[in-house]
Amino acid sequence: MNGKSEGAVYRAEKLDACIKCSACTAECPVARINPLFPGPKAAGPDAERLRLEGIYFDAKALALCSNCKTCEITCPSSVNITELIMEARRKAILSGANKKSKRYRLRALVLGRAEYLGILGTVLAPVTNFVLRKKAVRVLMEKAIGIGRNAPLPDYHRRFALNTHTDAKTKQVVYFPGCYSAYNDAVTARAVVKVLEHNGFSVLTPSFHCCGVPLQSNDQFSQAEANALYNLRLLVPYLEQGIPVVASCPSCTLSLKQEYPHYGGPGAELIAARTYDLFEFLWHLYENGELRLGFRPSSQIVAYHAPCHLKAQSIGTPVVRLLRLIPGLQVKDLDSGCCGLSGSYGFKEENYALGMEIGKPLFGKIKSGLEKADFSEVITECGTCNIQIAHGSRAKVQHPVWYFMKAYGLA
Amino acid sequence: MIEYHAEVIIIGGGATGVGLLRDLSMRGVNALLLEQGDLAHGTSSRFHGLLHSGARYAVKDSLSAAECSQENSILKRIAPSCIVNCGGWFVQMAEDDPAYTEKWVQKCAEASISVREISLQEAYTQEPLLRQDALRVFEVPDAAVDGFKLVWANAHSATVYGGVYKSYHQVDNLVREGNRITGVSGRLLKTGEPFTATSPMLVNAAGAWAPKLASSVGVTLDVVADKGTLLAFNHRLFQRVINRLRPPGDGDIFVPHESITVFGTTSGLVDSPSDNAPAVADVQRLMNLGEGLLPEIERFRVIRAFAGVRPLYQETQSDTVLAEKGREVSRGFALLDHEEQGIEGFVSIVGGKFTTYRLMAERTADLVTRKLGKLVPCRTAEETILPVLSSALKELAEKVLPCGAVSKMLERVGADAENILRKIESDPAKGQMLCECEMVSLAEVERAVSDEDVHFLSDIRRKTRLGMGTCQGAFCGYRALPLLRREKDKYAPFRDELQGFLDQRWKGIRPVLWGAQLRETELTRGIYGGLLHFGERANCPTDRGK
Repeated sequence: MNGKSEGAVYRAEKLDACIKCSACTAECPVARINPLFPGPKAAGPDAERLRLEGIYFDAKALALCSNCKTCEITCPSSVNITELIMEARRKAILSGANKKSKRYRLRALVLGRAEYLGILGTVLAPVTNFVLRKKAVRVLMEKAIGIGRNAPLPDYHRRFALNTHTDAKTKQVVYFPGCYSAYNDAVTARAVVKVLEHNGFSVLTPSFHCCGVPLQSNDQFSQAEANALYNLRLLVPYLEQGIPVVASCPSCTLSLKQEYPHYGGPGAELIAARTYDLFEFLWHLYENGELRLGFRPSSQIVAYHAPCHLKAQSIGTPVVRLLRLIPGLQVKDLDSGCCGLSGSYGFKEENYALGMEIGKPLFGKIKSGLEKADFSEVITECGTCNIQIAHGSRAKVQHPVWYFMKAYGLA
Repeated sequence: MIEYHAEVIIIGGGATGVGLLRDLSMRGVNALLLEQGDLAHGTSSRFHGLLHSGARYAVKDSLSAAECSQENSILKRIAPSCIVNCGGWFVQMAEDDPAYTEKWVQKCAEASISVREISLQEAYTQEPLLRQDALRVFEVPDAAVDGFKLVWANAHSATVYGGVYKSYHQVDNLVREGNRITGVSGRLLKTGEPFTATSPMLVNAAGAWAPKLASSVGVTLDVVADKGTLLAFNHRLFQRVINRLRPPGDGDIFVPHESITVFGTTSGLVDSPSDNAPAVADVQRLMNLGEGLLPEIERFRVIRAFAGVRPLYQETQSDTVLAEKGREVSRGFALLDHEEQGIEGFVSIVGGKFTTYRLMAERTADLVTRKLGKLVPCRTAEETILPVLSSALKELAEKVLPCGAVSKMLERVGADAENILRKIESDPAKGQMLCECEMVSLAEVERAVSDEDVHFLSDIRRKTRLGMGTCQGAFCGYRALPLLRREKDKYAPFRDELQGFLDQRWKGIRPVLWGAQLRETELTRGIYGGLLHFGERANCPTDRGK
């Protein structure tokens, strides 16, 4: 079998695995709120059989999928539901049958290129933040390109500095910071580096492009593929030396693990096995007795929100296990589903209210928890979950790496 | 006692009988069709759904090839909504005789079948699942045809011209007066009520049941019942018909059909035309043979097996010779005027295949009209079967239904579309998909439930494709039940309706219980046996394994 027919057999087997149990649709955060979304089963494996017949769904209905991957975590048959939906969206866009309005095309460019925005935003970060906080500017943005006026856009800060020089004598790790850490939250990215260095690693960060997830979510599929191939080329020398790749953003990690292998090209076969979520990586160190312990005790109680794209990696919640190693620290898993932002989904004017509705149970739990002093802070790994939760519940939200900074006495 | 009278009575509601009803009605002949079950319940829906280009028969049977070739282009013209013009390939593999290929190319040319050679590279790009050591690939004008749809489209068209069909009317006896057949008697299958029908002409178009009917008046027909088993795969594996380029044999045709792929067939003589249960051994044989074209066949999900009984006609050979070579019997047809055997007013149309049903009907109608002294020419080759749907109706459908469901629904229901769409427009909840696999809306099922031609849940399945997709009725079966109650005494009690429906689904699933379909069946068993307390009888392998 050649690659093409192998791919075709893989897709056929995945599609055949669906037993129509509807568990995915029952758990889908969008289908629960929005009756216009046919749900992951209908838009994914059901419609796929018709798509093979040449009958296409409206791309608008497919665009309601937030790509949170709750369906894939739920599916008892390992059907690649969101992959089917994304591929259908790609084809619908390519066919040209579903032309977007100029406004939305422009918006797709803005939201899809988190990276370029980041570069622009970080040059004059205080000015950018000042401008983006003006209500009038946000109203204009909504009118001009359909970015919801109330949607919680992130702040910009000084850019994360890259590093490609390492001491080959020490243990090495490649760090994939992702756009959010690189442009909106570089202090956290630096904290990740410090924690890794504290554990004896020298940390390499070549000049990566955006992982591609925001591009996909905004229908720029060929650009997403180009980015993936670019990043793979950068990674190949490290992958071949067996140097692990660590990412602190769950969406970046997920795409490196699950999407990149499909693009082919050098490194595609190695990437999935060598990529780790930051805390998955640290947990492995702990299990091998290589994690530096000696944590300072803490008396805090924190609430943890597991991002959808972390759940989709099927690694559980390693950060919760690790935090419990810190003496005295208590972690409460919020376990309230999706926050509703899902990358850039909730930024879009037509999705903003929907996103807030999806996040309602989570926000409610946080608000009441804070009121009753069940916990004092909220943590989550994902940058956009972070700003959505802060927006929806008015809570202070942090990346969990800061607890290790404190526990190690680094912050 | 119900009494009918007509100029011509047709027995058999398959493609040929219904095609004949339309043909005669269009010629102004008052015709009545009697069918023992639902229209198209027999061989006309139990085949691979291949509209032959004639290429399959080119070498062995040039007459059949030429007939198929001609009918192929006529049907594509008159019934485009029942046909998917997907094209077909003939693939020569390493072990196939190159001399046969040369002969085949030449014979196709003689029968005016257009053949175009495809480069192997193009072939593998377009059909990545095809076995990748083919030697040569040729494209022919094969197509996929929907048996149910085409038969019903003919029936509805016949009605417009005054034709009458009666389903679930079982004919028990032919009435003979002297040397003339004057009518038939029988009973209604649902109520047991007796009926008689009289006419100067009787046409036996009962397919595999034709010999039994003829023998009741002492006429022997050389028709054998040949069972062909087929497999339905969960989705489209190929985008076009794929044939093996070698002498026709078992397991050498894949046909993409709506959302599934049909693969077949086997050939084996059986005693009764009702013997259409697919056997495990035939299924295994097909799975082995299929590797010749689809090497990874084991990895794809088979949702069911089904079998049809072909009525094969051969005038000259004795039964013992036939038994040895069912596949060798001609696929041609014969029109028999039993006046030659001294019985007047009685004609049988036997043999043939789905692709040539219209031609068979035309020849039969020519004979019948000549006998009745009504010399009106045939118009079925020119006149489109279904009315073309207005663009306003299509727009309405796109407005009220998810786009996946639009084209399929319009093709299925034709002229009834407007009523269904208006219903959904005024009550959007009726636009919900009751059958999610095949995208059948609640409103469409409701219409089928109240259709006067529908008597069982299984009839609804044939009319709508409800229960024919991946779940095989696991979800849509029970969802349809409450709708039946609206029609007061029309349907049997829930339990019996559901049991009949599940039994039929189970008949096709039982021989393919492995992999994903086994998981699906366990889920089905959980729903009907566990949740709905259908007890041990619900789709349960343990009590039906014998």
